[in-house]
Amino acid sequence: MSALQSPARGRAGGFADWIGAAAQRRRLVTEAFLDTFAVWGYEYLSTPLVEPLETVAAGVGGGLQAQLFRFMDADGSLLALVGERTVSVARVVSTQLQGVRPPLRLCYAGPVLFNRPPLGGRRRETMQAGCELIGHSGLSADAECIAVAAAALERAGVTGVQIDVGHADFVPSLLDSANLDAESRGRVADALRGRDLVAVEDALRGTDAGDAERELLLTFPTLRGGREILDTAGARISAPGPRRVLADLAELWDVLDRHGITASVHLDLGAVRDWDYYTGPTFELFSADLGFPLGAGGRYDRLLAAFGTDAPATGFVLHVDRCCDALLRGSGQDAGVEALRLGYSAARAGEAPALAARLRQAGIAVALELEPTARHREEPVVEGMARLDDDGAVAWRYRGEEGRGVEALLAAHGRGDAP
Amino acid sequence: MSAGLRLALPGGALFEDACRLLSEAGVADIDASRFDRQLKIATPTATVVKVRPTDVPVYVEMGACDAGIVGKDILWESPRDCYELVDLHFGVCRLVLAAPEGSPLAQGRFPQSLRAATKYPIAARRFFDSLGLAVELIKLHGSVELAPAMGLADCVVDITATGRTLVANHLVEVAEAGRSTARLISNQASLKTRSEAVNQLAAALRRTVTAGATPAAVT
Repeated sequence: MSALQSPARGRAGGFADWIGAAAQRRRLVTEAFLDTFAVWGYEYLSTPLVEPLETVAAGVGGGLQAQLFRFMDADGSLLALVGERTVSVARVVSTQLQGVRPPLRLCYAGPVLFNRPPLGGRRRETMQAGCELIGHSGLSADAECIAVAAAALERAGVTGVQIDVGHADFVPSLLDSANLDAESRGRVADALRGRDLVAVEDALRGTDAGDAERELLLTFPTLRGGREILDTAGARISAPGPRRVLADLAELWDVLDRHGITASVHLDLGAVRDWDYYTGPTFELFSADLGFPLGAGGRYDRLLAAFGTDAPATGFVLHVDRCCDALLRGSGQDAGVEALRLGYSAARAGEAPALAARLRQAGIAVALELEPTARHREEPVVEGMARLDDDGAVAWRYRGEEGRGVEALLAAHGRGDAP
Repeated sequence: MSAGLRLALPGGALFEDACRLLSEAGVADIDASRFDRQLKIATPTATVVKVRPTDVPVYVEMGACDAGIVGKDILWESPRDCYELVDLHFGVCRLVLAAPEGSPLAQGRFPQSLRAATKYPIAARRFFDSLGLAVELIKLHGSVELAPAMGLADCVVDITATGRTLVANHLVEVAEAGRSTARLISNQASLKTRSEAVNQLAAALRRTVTAGATPAAVT
């Protein structure tokens, strides 16, 4: 019997191989995001795929903690594969970057993993890219994050993006002002968190909640629109807590307007996000082509304190794979770039590598044939191929054009790159 | 109106009432019998698909459908990222703990160790946890009421609408673990990107069920 076991040919569920056009698309989208972050002044950093379990758990919501891949370190302490990367950035900011003067603009891209039940159709490893803006508590920082996220999606070619902007304090402050006992308040909050509006209605029944608050809590998914909904809501609310949130959102809207992106922004007073984590404005990005958000973000002023650094922070994450899904559904376009195959006659084999190098210098992807092309004179040159013939001439077909000579090929390549 | 919305309906006990509700609410004029020949029907107002009840939350969560109608009992066992928008009041049934006639449990005495057969392990676990009882759950896929008679389990946690199946199998209801009715659920992104259509759908169904226009909508 062989000492070598044959490896499994299957693949763990929820994981993917990225091949061909899909792999290329995924890489280009990630690069478009990172390029955008860079031109907005965000410095790239890279953090580990493995962190202590309690660190990872601090970054993901309560419901997802049970879905982390966890394992044991040599000393018996528990480790986990990261489920998001903001918490790692927070750890770095609180340690190695402790002395750096705020604000800090940091960005990252990398895989995150969840041990989701298999066969649910959800990925278990996904690529995330995001930004963190740390050390500034003003709404201009929140607005910048929204603007960067929108710019990154645009650069990646994702169109028809809708940005939903909410505020983590709105619903809690509404609950505080609704004259509810602690138990009812907890039930309403749990139901909202569970996105179960039927249970919200049940929990409010028989309580002393004020009419305005009750109506707002019940109609909350419809509390969406432009700046005007702040006035609509403001007219119905007198409590100072929720009114302060409305004023914040009005100011945020004005800053977003200066960034020129309000055309795709909806204010969403009913946005229900993780209230234990977020502390201010929050946002989610949607595409009409996809049933999941493309990205999400918001202010999280409490997270860094957990690492001993009391600093305000805001940021966002973009889900690269969902953006790729949206791109594919939106246009179905193939982002694949195939290399130009460069053939050559036996007599010209010595010159072929130099020719390949010259073409690559110009940005053309070139795969040099490994053997001289036999009987090359009789074979027609096909699309995606160039051939260095006995007489030194180069015949080629590239990007739908056909010609002879290196200069003409370089010109064709230049035309293809023009916007 | 709900133009262009993709709706998932559950085959089985809720199906005819769900079709009738959509027609009466003016959402999509469909007759249940049309689904005998096909699983997907496009009407001028909505595209409607018929899937297994347990698959409705899957279609909706993944965004293959914008919204769906499904029993709360299915949602207990399939926690997915969907919005639960409206209680549609039909398809009323109860999740009960039932034990063989004459058993200590049937007389309200909870033994120290208990094995319960159920098709609803998540809801059953939540129920027993709320009572502080450590119960060994046995997941079955059908005919749960047979389990005590064959010595597989001491009791069952199962759905009942009329109680007739329990009686026929000499089981007595001990406690109610939950109540279920049909719900309107929606995809999280559809609620944002097609909010007008989804909200109109929710409002139309809510109006129709509170008006009592659906015969089954009695609670």
